[in-house]
Amino acid sequence: MLLDFDKLGAWKWALSAICAVMALFLLLPILFIVALSFGSSRWLIFPPPGWTLKWYEELFADPRWIGAALTSAKIGVIVMVLSVVLGLLASMALVRGTFRGRAVLRAFFLTPMVLPVVIVAVALYAAFLRLGLNGTLPGFVIAHLIVALPFAIITISGALETFDPSIEDAAILCGASPWEARLRVTLPGIRHGLFSAAIFSFLISWDEVVLAIFMASPALQTLPVKVWTTLRQDLTPVIAAASTLLVALTVILMIVAALIRKGKSE
Amino acid sequence: MLSATSGGRGSGLGFAMPAILLLLAFFVIPVAFLLMRSVTEPAPGLQNYATLLGSTTYAKIFFNTFFVAGVVTAITVLIAFPVAWALAIMPARWSAVIFAVILLSMWTNLLARTYAWMVLLQQTGLINRMLKAIGLIDQPLQLTNNLIGVTIGMVYIMLPFMILPLLGVIRKIDPAILQAAALCGATRAQALRRVLLPLAGPGLASGGLMVFVMSLGYFVTPSLLGGTANMMLAELIAQQVQSLVNWGMGGAAAFVLLVVTLGLYAVQLRFFDQAEAR
Repeated sequence: MLLDFDKLGAWKWALSAICAVMALFLLLPILFIVALSFGSSRWLIFPPPGWTLKWYEELFADPRWIGAALTSAKIGVIVMVLSVVLGLLASMALVRGTFRGRAVLRAFFLTPMVLPVVIVAVALYAAFLRLGLNGTLPGFVIAHLIVALPFAIITISGALETFDPSIEDAAILCGASPWEARLRVTLPGIRHGLFSAAIFSFLISWDEVVLAIFMASPALQTLPVKVWTTLRQDLTPVIAAASTLLVALTVILMIVAALIRKGKSE
Repeated sequence: MLSATSGGRGSGLGFAMPAILLLLAFFVIPVAFLLMRSVTEPAPGLQNYATLLGSTTYAKIFFNTFFVAGVVTAITVLIAFPVAWALAIMPARWSAVIFAVILLSMWTNLLARTYAWMVLLQQTGLINRMLKAIGLIDQPLQLTNNLIGVTIGMVYIMLPFMILPLLGVIRKIDPAILQAAALCGATRAQALRRVLLPLAGPGLASGGLMVFVMSLGYFVTPSLLGGTANMMLAELIAQQVQSLVNWGMGGAAAFVLLVVTLGLYAVQLRFFDQAEAR
């Protein structure tokens, strides 16, 4: 009765209304920034008195914004590659390994996801002060890799669990070496998991704020750090323009991820 | 590598080594050093913890942290339950739309979302002007730089983390159990209170605990929407280390946050195991 939508009576409308209001609550701020980024008011009056592209022009004319976006992209791509490679190796050990303590190792791999990021950020900041890695590209990559890796491990080990190891054995019986079997049979078999892990890892690095605030130097900062420092001064519509581009990127990556999922089910 | 030499799949621990070494060098050891500094700086002893737990300034920060996390959790649970319930049984066409909205908001850049709320909630912002237009208020309400702003911003961020796991739990409930309740003469309200809520209970509790823990350690939204006068624990850690270069106090605050977080996760794991064994 309560789990049959058509037999809910008046409750059906109450539940639908709550759902609709919540969806609006989630959607409104996102639509709002997109609208503001095209609005002509510097003081973010809504609805805007007119429409303009000047905030985008301002954004693209400022080399600091472009530089920060390029830095973010560079770090994101390196993190993505390392996270998928390390995540794949770790998942092989977790799923196919026969050593004892795999459950403990899995829990260990997932701890960076569980701890508040600020603790990791402060701890790494202290370590990097000694190692001279603050404000460097490797520093950013290591910091982001620590938080992206758990997501890659969850995704890839999930894919590996559903891939039957006897297919790999069959390849070996047919004369493939173990490495050949892994590279040419297992890897293609779990490619959806690898793609998803790559997208997640990139997005985590690309969006990461807290670690980046601690790693950044005036010479090297990521896009979120640039947004953060600008936000603390004023709420200029240029941030709305930057945010809109970030939302657009999210939508594109979500569609890609959905297509991958669809490809998997077919 | 172990398994490469043994022909098939050997022990395989070697494959995990790169990730293990990375985490040891750049996660375990740095965090351990940070916590150590709380009892060695400026002088060996527990004085950092005495200051942290003894002074009223820090008491207010602890209160803010637990209060906001508690309120955010309560509101999130209240909204997420009917939404997850509806999503579980709605026609697939509608639920797919709402699901896409939830994922979009979850994956939209955190700063972009927080920026939107800073603009929406400011004195001349849309929310205040709408409330004024419909005659609810005369003077604009102060909605940013205080805990109200933090709470709204955090509920926004935490909702997906509550809805998605809860949806999984409700989808697993057998509708026949509720039909049975109806056949036995239970009214809708009775069936909700005595059958559906208890069955969804473990999901509500574990999701709520997760939101509470995540809220306790949150940094970005409280700093941007709360202002410096309404600090929370994560901001205190950052401030002690970055602005005051007081590693002892920063380490002590980090230790407190770490213990609370891991303690609550331990409760969560225990709770989950029991719920699944049932």
